[in-house]
Amino acid sequence: MALPVIVTPDEPAAGRRQERGLLLLAGAFLLVNFAALALLRPEQTAPWLHLLVWILCAGGGSLALERFLPERDPLLFPLVMFLSGWGLVLIDRLAPGFADRQTLWLALGTAALVVTAAVPHILRLLRTYRYTLLVVGLVLLISTILLGRNPSGFGPELWLGIGDVFFQPSEALKIILVAFLASYLSEQYPALRPDDVHRALFSERHLWLSPRILGPILLMWGVCVVVLVWQRDLGTAVLFFAVFLLLLYIASGQTLILVSGGVLIVAAAAVAYRLFDVVQLRIDIWLNPWLDPDGRAFQIVQSLMAFGSGGIFGQGVGQGAPDFIPVVHSDFALAALAEEWGLLGVVVVIVCVATLVMRGLRIAVSTQERPYYALLAAGLSLLIGIQSLLIMGGVLKLVPLTGVTLPFMSYGGSSLLMSCVLVGLLLRLSAGVRA
Amino acid sequence: MPVDVLLFGLRVISGLLLLAVLAALMLILWRDFRSATSAARVSRRAYGQLIKLTLMGEMMAETGETFALTPMTTLGRAPTNQIVLNDTFASSEHAVVLLRHGQWWLEDRNSRNGTLLNGERITLPVIITEGDIIGIGSVGFRLLLSPA
Repeated sequence: MALPVIVTPDEPAAGRRQERGLLLLAGAFLLVNFAALALLRPEQTAPWLHLLVWILCAGGGSLALERFLPERDPLLFPLVMFLSGWGLVLIDRLAPGFADRQTLWLALGTAALVVTAAVPHILRLLRTYRYTLLVVGLVLLISTILLGRNPSGFGPELWLGIGDVFFQPSEALKIILVAFLASYLSEQYPALRPDDVHRALFSERHLWLSPRILGPILLMWGVCVVVLVWQRDLGTAVLFFAVFLLLLYIASGQTLILVSGGVLIVAAAAVAYRLFDVVQLRIDIWLNPWLDPDGRAFQIVQSLMAFGSGGIFGQGVGQGAPDFIPVVHSDFALAALAEEWGLLGVVVVIVCVATLVMRGLRIAVSTQERPYYALLAAGLSLLIGIQSLLIMGGVLKLVPLTGVTLPFMSYGGSSLLMSCVLVGLLLRLSAGVRA
Repeated sequence: MPVDVLLFGLRVISGLLLLAVLAALMLILWRDFRSATSAARVSRRAYGQLIKLTLMGEMMAETGETFALTPMTTLGRAPTNQIVLNDTFASSEHAVVLLRHGQWWLEDRNSRNGTLLNGERITLPVIITEGDIIGIGSVGFRLLLSPA
């Protein structure tokens, strides 16, 4: 195929080749694992429908992105499809009853990703209607507190349901808050960055401790407290606070923020340990799960067992016994993955997530001259990164367990859908870099 | 047991495919890193120079001092400026030369005695080009741009 244009290695053609190659590898990997599953469960209907939907999503998404967004980051989309396809295999293996639902969510998520990436003024719209969005997000949060349910009938009530469809509003709230903070902080840039051009030109004084800066800090702190106190949702509260702290640090460049934020987190943890039994439980079983390995620490102990029995290359899909971990398909997806694909599988997942975050931060660096874009890209990729760190560290007992999903892989429709929207925004940002 | 053998084969292929994904990612990232470093090397080129001039009677003569131009070059008497002027007519933060939208701009920073461009006092930011002379007090600077 001879193209009449001058092609350098960095042009879209190379990116397209890389994207297709990675998608093909991912497809082959899924095919092999679905084949093994079908061999192991000859009595059940074959999982081929799920693979077919995945292929349609990957192929259709790639073509649609090619059409609407030719100059995009070539790694984001295949990585997302790889991880979510792998998640599909996991759910099909661990909780076959949920697999059809998750496949449907994957199709919806891919559609949402393409739409988010294709709407031409989405970033400006997010910025223009940020207060509207913020109000919508807070209303969602309050209505979850008042009307929240849990689809399984017990446990924390974090879902809003219409009929048989449930949605977890805190997933949407994550993106809304990051978009709001990015546009708000970028507007306060002259005050936050006294050493920037603005200070040099206008000799503007330092505006720390003005309501403009303190306002969002108090807002975020309030949201975290509400989430923790009324919803007992430790993971979301920690995630919100950590991402917000890092965004503020990136916007201002003041190390003091990181230090004082860290002190605040430790202090908050100490207070929460006294006040909330859920925090106390999590920290107790983190410090020593062996005091009660058959009771309260059963989940984490079984998770550690799963990691151990996985070895380097794993037991093979469907051939391990990760079913001993309660609700393994949502929070403990990584433990099941470790048992069946071993150290190799875990390393691949970590590398994929790290690459996603790295590409996101790279987009942030290359849009530096537009603070809103840079802060949005940094915030979104930190959201993925910190959430993955929290749950990966949690199932490995490196940090106290906080109930968040592993992005793209855990069972959970709202999480998958919102992660796809998030990557759609990152793709849009990556195309804006050259524009 | 052919099923066992088949399953083992699938496990091996699955492991190999995981390794292939790792290798492909590393290769793409390495290539990307290579092209990024070479791009950075290109963009770190010199922008140009400001050649210092001084008033000798009626004429402006070169003093032999030159200053490298940066995207934001500040001029003034304060030691925080990139080009520090030891001139009693210069304000502490006197003027700035900026690169904006591919053009070089000269801007006066509310200095007491004003900034001259080719002998005329400026009030608003103006675009400057090769050979223009910036005057501050008794000192002048001629703009010399590097070819892009």
